Amino acid sequence: MNPSAEQIKKINHFSKVQIESCQKIANVVELKTCEPKEHLFKEGDTGDTMILVFQGQVEVSKDMMVKTSSGFTTSRKSIIRLETTDPRPSKPPEINSTVFIVEAPAFGIGEFSLVLDNAIRTAHVHSTTPLQYGVLKLDDFTDIVKENPGIGGNVYFEVAKAAVKNLATVSGDVSNLTQAFFYALSR
Amino acid sequence: MKEKNLQSADVKQKELDKVLEVNKNLYEKLNKLPEIEAIGTIEVGKEGPVKKNKEDGFLKKYLNKIRLAYLENELVRYAAWSIVLIFISTSALTIIEYDMFYNDVAADIEGSFTFGGEKPNWLDTFFHTFWWSIVTFTTVGYGDVSPVTHLGKLLTIIIMLLNFGVVTLLGGAVASVLVAQKLKGDVVLDENKFNKHLIIAGWNNTVPAILKLIDSNLESNPVIILVNETDPEILQRNLGSFKRLDITHISENFTQESVLKKAFIENAETLMILPDNSGLLPHEEPAEDKAVLTCLTAKSISESCNVVAHVLNSENVSHLQRANANEIVIPDEHVPHLLAKHVTDPGVPQFFDDLILEEKENKGLQEVDIPKTLMGQTHNKISAFYKFKYGWLLVGYAIKKSGFSLDDQMGESGSPLIRDMIKEQLDGAGINLASDEHVVVEINPKDDYKIDNKHRALVLR
Repeated sequence: MNPSAEQIKKINHFSKVQIESCQKIANVVELKTCEPKEHLFKEGDTGDTMILVFQGQVEVSKDMMVKTSSGFTTSRKSIIRLETTDPRPSKPPEINSTVFIVEAPAFGIGEFSLVLDNAIRTAHVHSTTPLQYGVLKLDDFTDIVKENPGIGGNVYFEVAKAAVKNLATVSGDVSNLTQAFFYALSR
Repeated sequence: MKEKNLQSADVKQKELDKVLEVNKNLYEKLNKLPEIEAIGTIEVGKEGPVKKNKEDGFLKKYLNKIRLAYLENELVRYAAWSIVLIFISTSALTIIEYDMFYNDVAADIEGSFTFGGEKPNWLDTFFHTFWWSIVTFTTVGYGDVSPVTHLGKLLTIIIMLLNFGVVTLLGGAVASVLVAQKLKGDVVLDENKFNKHLIIAGWNNTVPAILKLIDSNLESNPVIILVNETDPEILQRNLGSFKRLDITHISENFTQESVLKKAFIENAETLMILPDNSGLLPHEEPAEDKAVLTCLTAKSISESCNVVAHVLNSENVSHLQRANANEIVIPDEHVPHLLAKHVTDPGVPQFFDDLILEEKENKGLQEVDIPKTLMGQTHNKISAFYKFKYGWLLVGYAIKKSGFSLDDQMGESGSPLIRDMIKEQLDGAGINLASDEHVVVEINPKDDYKIDNKHRALVLR
């Protein structure tokens, strides 16, 4: 089963793509559902698919080293939750969390796979509510772009924007960590 | 110099009058500002309740002192109970041998003062019995009164035996308390007294001068603890003349954590670390690494304590900075400037000497609070307020600047996750996210300079 062109257009990366072109993308996307606590991405894996979430909430988390009373251990820390607003999740999340929730009509994750062969997943993603989502394969998308270069321009622009934003955040993180490092050393 | 002379020569009498007139008008206008007038009334009204609180606090303090003395000192406990015992036995004897004591007192004090007027009453009898009791208790035994009945004699035997115990216990208590104090080498300090006090670690010949200046500033906290291992005789010679200060001496090594805790460093406002000459010969230099150690120890106990360190060797400044000392004083820092001023601006060094060295009682340069209602006002208004209300000259401000804060520095950059992680990890490692506050001064700012609650006024009184 495939999603509708309107569903595809709700996703930020495809918002500027004409509805007819969205239909072409919708034709190659496979619609799936899953229950809460199901893993969609695992940090460090490589992948060539982008996941388009049409309904539900997912949590993005990362493995981090933390200091506990018994020494250093690796623990999974949730970073953010993403939630659809059109439609809203069918059930509230089973486990509530204090992390920030970003809302969007629908959203895509793993978008770097659209531009990079074997892109490495930078975080874990798992569902926190029942999910309705679609899987877009890099090969399928590349084929569509070859036939309709206009789609590529719009989508790659959005992906590039996200990449630049991430870069700015990471640069801020590096600066913060460097400062904290020197601050801790000088104490 | 030339420029200055030229400037003063250029000012004409007319212009001078004009400037004076403008300033006078400005000051008068400022003085009429409703907020400044309001301040006058608020401040006067404030003093009443504060005083009452003080009186309450005074009574409470004394009661607390007595309670503490009773709880902490065995001797006081024994003394209190022996007095109770004497009273009980006296009362019993007064009742049992009333006739005898009554007749005795009637015969003895005929014609002299009695509580009962013409005839002695029960109070006179009781006092007489009490007298007899004390005479017996203290083993003086004048023999002017003695029990007659068997019952009275029996009671006297009991009292005499009791007395034996009480005297022995009292004697033993005195000895044991004295020995215990000698062994411990200290006196337990009353914690209630020590709040926002000053601790001076180390002894050298600048201490009496420091204390003299603190003594003359009536608004400063008079409670001071000296921690050093100097000969107590030297201390007594130097500390006799202060009327206001309440000085306690702890004769122990101030680099030790337990000693600083004994001086209640967690409640202290300021710790002053001085080059310590205790027990040194005149040609020996004090060991300055002690200052760094003390600063580290103090900051680890109480991060908020304001540490002022005096060092002789400027090489130690960086160590003290790393140990988080709030202010570091290097003695020869000002000397070249003062010497140069003798040449370029004669009079300035003398002015400094008068200002800083010759501080008289509540005169000279002082730091005072700015009334809360004046916060947010401009410098010229604050200046007018002090001029008209107290006749003080406002020369500038001491501003508490918060130190470097990693939190502020990071701001909103990067991801919140990383920022939180940094804070969590540093916190877990016991590293404070912000360095200490320090004081900067703003001298003679522009008229429209705004004052906030971090400011304190520097006034010439």
